[in-house]
This record gives sequence, C-alpha cells and structure tokens, in this order.
Amino acid sequence: METINILIDLFPYALMGSVLAGIICSFLGVFVVSQRAVFLGASLTQVSIAGVAFSFLHLINLEALIGSLFTAETIENSFLHHFEHTFFSLLFSLIAVLIFSQSYRQKLITQDGLLGIIFVIAIALRIMFIQKSPVAEISEIEAILKGDILFIGPNEFYTMLVVLLIVFLIFGLFSKQLKFVTFDAETALAHGINSRFWLLFFYLTVGIGISLTTRFVGDVFTFAYLIIPSSIGMILGKKVSQVFIISVIIGAVIPPVSIFLAFIFDFSSGPAAVVLAFVVFIIVYGVKKLV
Amino acid sequence: MQNDLIKLSGLSIGYKNKIIHSNINLNISDNDFIGLVGPNGSGKTTFLRILLGTLKPLSGTVEKNNARFGYVPQRDTVQPLLPYSVFDIVMMGRYSLKGFFEKINKEDETIVKESLEKVGIASLKFMNYNSLSGGQRQRTLIARALAVNPNVLILDEPTNGMDTPSHHSLLNLIEELHDKSKLTVLLVSHLLSDVANLVKKIILFEKDNFQIGKIDDILSEENLSKTYSAQIKISKIGSEFLITSKHPRSYNGNN
Repeated sequence: METINILIDLFPYALMGSVLAGIICSFLGVFVVSQRAVFLGASLTQVSIAGVAFSFLHLINLEALIGSLFTAETIENSFLHHFEHTFFSLLFSLIAVLIFSQSYRQKLITQDGLLGIIFVIAIALRIMFIQKSPVAEISEIEAILKGDILFIGPNEFYTMLVVLLIVFLIFGLFSKQLKFVTFDAETALAHGINSRFWLLFFYLTVGIGISLTTRFVGDVFTFAYLIIPSSIGMILGKKVSQVFIISVIIGAVIPPVSIFLAFIFDFSSGPAAVVLAFVVFIIVYGVKKLV
Repeated sequence: MQNDLIKLSGLSIGYKNKIIHSNINLNISDNDFIGLVGPNGSGKTTFLRILLGTLKPLSGTVEKNNARFGYVPQRDTVQPLLPYSVFDIVMMGRYSLKGFFEKINKEDETIVKESLEKVGIASLKFMNYNSLSGGQRQRTLIARALAVNPNVLILDEPTNGMDTPSHHSLLNLIEELHDKSKLTVLLVSHLLSDVANLVKKIILFEKDNFQIGKIDDILSEENLSKTYSAQIKISKIGSEFLITSKHPRSYNGNN
C-alpha cells in the first residue's frame, strides 16, 4: 500500500496516462488486428518516431511560426516546444496512412511489402535525422524519441484524454459504417457506402492514435498494446462488443499494475508492461486451449 | 408489361485503356432472371462492378430507374476475424438506407427478422458467422442483400465450393426468391448447367464479344464450344440441361 501511495505521489500522470495509452491502443488494436493490418501498427510506430526525429533538424521553425500567429500569453512555451515534435510525428504518420490507404490502386507491390518498406525506411530516416541534428546528445534525443510512461506529464495526459474521446466519438458515431466496411468493403460500396472514404477515415484516426501514444509512451508499448489485448479479446469474446470490452479492460488494467511491479523489482516500466501483457496472453491462450 | 429497371446504353467496359467489351446496349426489366456466364477473364466481374456502380464505365451510361440492388458477393471474400453474429451481418444490409447518425430501430429489426425467415435461417440468428457451414453463410449473405429491400438481387458465384445438397438447396432458394418475391435476379456463375436450368435469359461473355438472348438462342454446343475453346456437350435429362465439357483426350480420341 505504501508503494502505491509513493507511486501516486511521484507519478500521478504516469499512472493515469498509462491507463489512457493502454485503452487507446487496445481499442484501436481491435480494428487493426481485425483488418489483418498488424504490420501497419508496427510501421506507424516507426514512422511516428521518424517524424519526431525530423523535428530535431529544426528545418521548419514551428515554434516561431505559431508564436507569431498567437501572442506569447495565449500559448505556453513548453506546449509550443512539445507541439513541434508531436506535429511532425502526426504529419509523418498521416502521410504513411495515406500512402497505405491508396495501395489498393496498384498491383505492383503487396500491402505487406509496402508496409515493410515504410518500416525500414522510417528506421533509416530516424538514424539519419538524428545524426544531422544540430542539438543535444544523440542518446538524449533517442530517449525523447522512444517516449517513456514515467515521463507522462499533464500535457501528455490531457492530450491523450482528448485523443481517447475523439477515438471513442468517431468509432461510436460511425459504428454502422465501421462495421460494414471492415466486414465487407466491396458489398458496402455496392450498397452505396463509400468504403474507400470510410476506411481512409478510420485509418487516419488509427494513425493519430498510434502516433501520439508512440510519442508519449514509446513504440514497443504502443505496438504491443495494439496487438496483445485485442488478441486476448478475440480469444475470449463471443460477440464483437465483448472483444472490444475485454481488449480495453486488459489495456487499461495491465499498464498501471506493470508500473507498480516495475517499481518494486526495479525494471523499466514500458518493457514490464509489455511482458506482463504477454504473460496474461499466454495464460488466456493456454486455458482456452485446455478448456 | 415489364418496366425497365436498368438501361445500359453504348457502354464500354474495361480498365484504363484496355476495353474488354464495347457498345453494350441492354435493358434489364423487373422480374427478369438473367445469368451471366463466360470463361475466366471474359469481363463478367467488370460488367457486374459497373452495374453496381463500384467501377466507372469507359464510356456510355447506366440508367437506374428506381433500381435498388441487393448484392451477394462471393462467400470466400468475406472472412471476418471478429465474431459477428448472423443478426449483426444481416443488419448491415439496413445501414446503407440509414442517415449518417441515424440509429437502427424496430422496423429495421423486423425487416432483418423477415429476411432471415425468407432464407430459412431464422433459428441461426444469434450464431457466430464463422461457425456456420458454407451454405448457411451464403444464406446469411443473401439475407443481408434482402434486408436492403431490393428489387434487383445480384449474386456472384453463390454456389462456389458447396456440397451437392447445399448447392441445390441454394439454387431452389434463388428460384423461390425470384418467383415469390418477384425479384429481378442477376446470377453470375461458371456452372453452365445451373444457369441454364434456372434463368430466363443469358448474357454470354466471350473474349472481345458478348451475346444476350434467351436460353435456346444462346445455348448451342457450337456456340459454347467456340466461346470456351473446348468441346462442350449439352444433354437433357428430363427437362433439365446438363452441360459438360469433354476431356481433351477423349475429344481427340473420338475425332
């Protein structure tokens, strides 16, 4: 109990933020996994990091640009400073989603192949951007790029809260379109629902969610929580709604528990959250096989 | 008197600069029962996509006079990972008729229930789609198309990969839907016997050519052999057509 109190005192936003990040990823993960687009999740985490790395080149001074549009009193400097990383992370991710969403128009390369190329190019660009960055130590930039649950502060927490509400709102309001186009895009189109538009719209939402969680909690956590909770949900859920609920519960509960365990056993909280989710997955899988 | 539901005028179909068929002029009327047949790559799917409006014609027009389509895709293209129930899937048929934010209501539920009854799977309402047999899945997809309240039912290879009893049971269902519900039906199939025994008109797609007409006008051994570049034999057992292709070896041996 004492440890929990210490954690709440020291990392209140980290604990609450880890829940939000877990929910965002596990909720979007059901969409990603059911669309057989797991590799899209992996690629977007790397693209998001490449976007943050690009922001360290300071080729476009967004801080000055926005500062000139709004007075210094209206926007906090710290927000502006973080905004630049987040902006490029989002921009890179959305461009990758747009490229991926249009890949059905061509037959020269498979979607998997395209995602593989995006994945490796993003990693290569990240390295090159960091090497050419005029500021700070490379190790320091790498740490910022990778994100960390424990570094979640009020800005990150409220940004994720807004993202979560937007994701829930979009997937809730347009659940009819979501169900139909993800189940059978061809028939949806034949019945007058513009499945290309809706798929792009949902993928863009996924891109925003993945980009921001990667930025705040790291690529390993984000990718793991896209895949593992939704896989558990699919193993246990007998209805679509149950898959979402189980996935979200797993995504919400495991990260704060992992922070607690990581604190006790002196591990990094991100990898601990991934390993604990995997342990739960193995138990669920094993029990389901036996029953 | 039949009303024209769909009017195709001077239609050219194909992709980019490759024209597959040109100058298609065709009227599809209410209560028509049309089979679309032809070898692989002859343009059946392209024609279907243009009719459905998911692909634009290279030239010409497709006029739809109050035609509402219920489309049944090939079963293999629908393989969900999520555990959708039969009810969930049939309800999707109602979604295209709803506004952006409009929720499903009692009337939609009633229509879904009626659609399930029409195809004989009302008892499977809460079953997981993935746990159904091929025939039951196909009936689910037909029920979804019926939930649109269509006047034109378009089926793409509905009996693919089915065992014989399911195959015949499904063909009976399609015939019943045409007869009782007075639906205009367009049936795409590579099984010539099925089409010949079921439909009233045939569109025969060949490479660079197509023919439209009544069964007796289109179905001749000579015509089909030319289209399929194989020796086709047409037999009649009772009132039923049996259309087979001769094995190349026996064909060569006999000639």
